[in-house]
Amino acid sequence: MSETCEILLFQVGAGVFAARVHDAVRIGSVRDVPAEDLVVITALGTPFERTRGIVIAAGEDGREHTLVVDQALGVRSIPAADVRALPPLASECLASRAVAGYVELDGALTLLIDLRALVRERPGAAPTAPNQRAA
Amino acid sequence: MSDSRPPEGTDPAPHGGGSEAWFFCLRILGGRYAFEAPLVTEVVRLGPLTRLPAAPSFLPGVFTHRGEVLPVLDIGQLVGHVSIPIRPSTRAALVHCGPWKVAVVSESVEGLVAIPRRALEAPPAESTGVAEFLSAVGRDRHGPVAILDLPRVVETARARAVPAGSARA
Repeated sequence: MSETCEILLFQVGAGVFAARVHDAVRIGSVRDVPAEDLVVITALGTPFERTRGIVIAAGEDGREHTLVVDQALGVRSIPAADVRALPPLASECLASRAVAGYVELDGALTLLIDLRALVRERPGAAPTAPNQRAA
Repeated sequence: MSDSRPPEGTDPAPHGGGSEAWFFCLRILGGRYAFEAPLVTEVVRLGPLTRLPAAPSFLPGVFTHRGEVLPVLDIGQLVGHVSIPIRPSTRAALVHCGPWKVAVVSESVEGLVAIPRRALEAPPAESTGVAEFLSAVGRDRHGPVAILDLPRVVETARARAVPAGSARA
């Protein structure tokens, strides 16, 4: 039996992305989240609305941040082997470490996002060491 | 999705013997640009493009071709800061540059061109814009052709990209 991987699908602006479920602490409303814990603008773009969020424990101290998304579209279980790396030239040229690879879902190429790296890269965040990229 | 391949059985090597050199010609930025024909494996229509976050403008995205995900290179953005419009009809040349396999997007594909060796000249001695990437200029019966040093183009693209960790989104 092949190893599987749980991925969370979410939408930011017009883009649909995937992330590993274990990167997310919970999903919920952003209404009561303090503004300093909200992550609105990221490499993925800016959400149309500020209603839903994915809570991520990104810091070494376990502090939670909430990535604002337009929709959490659900969880899918896929074969772990379906998670692929981007072609080297593409991954080398990106100014973000948040793109961990891609998966093909229903015939569409969907980028797999490292949520912790994405939150660490948010504007105004403290710089991180090069080796702090999540596996 | 494939449209054409360099014909087999020909010797398109531009530095081989014979009175003509073979190149693969694309229209980019309204001009005729070519590179060494053996670098091109096929010509395809671009499928749906997936945009990459935090990608430089000359890397408009990736697309799937026969199960393989390929980066798309917009030479117009790299050398002239002008995007080549990407539509469903847009075609790209798949090229191998050393370890890299990329799809070079174009306004249109002309295909193989033969240029008499005596018509090949050194490029202009400018170090800016597209001149920086030319290995030669030539002329065939359809007019002038600028010969791109494609490996240098790809290496420059890598060098100009902001490495992850050195910039913020």
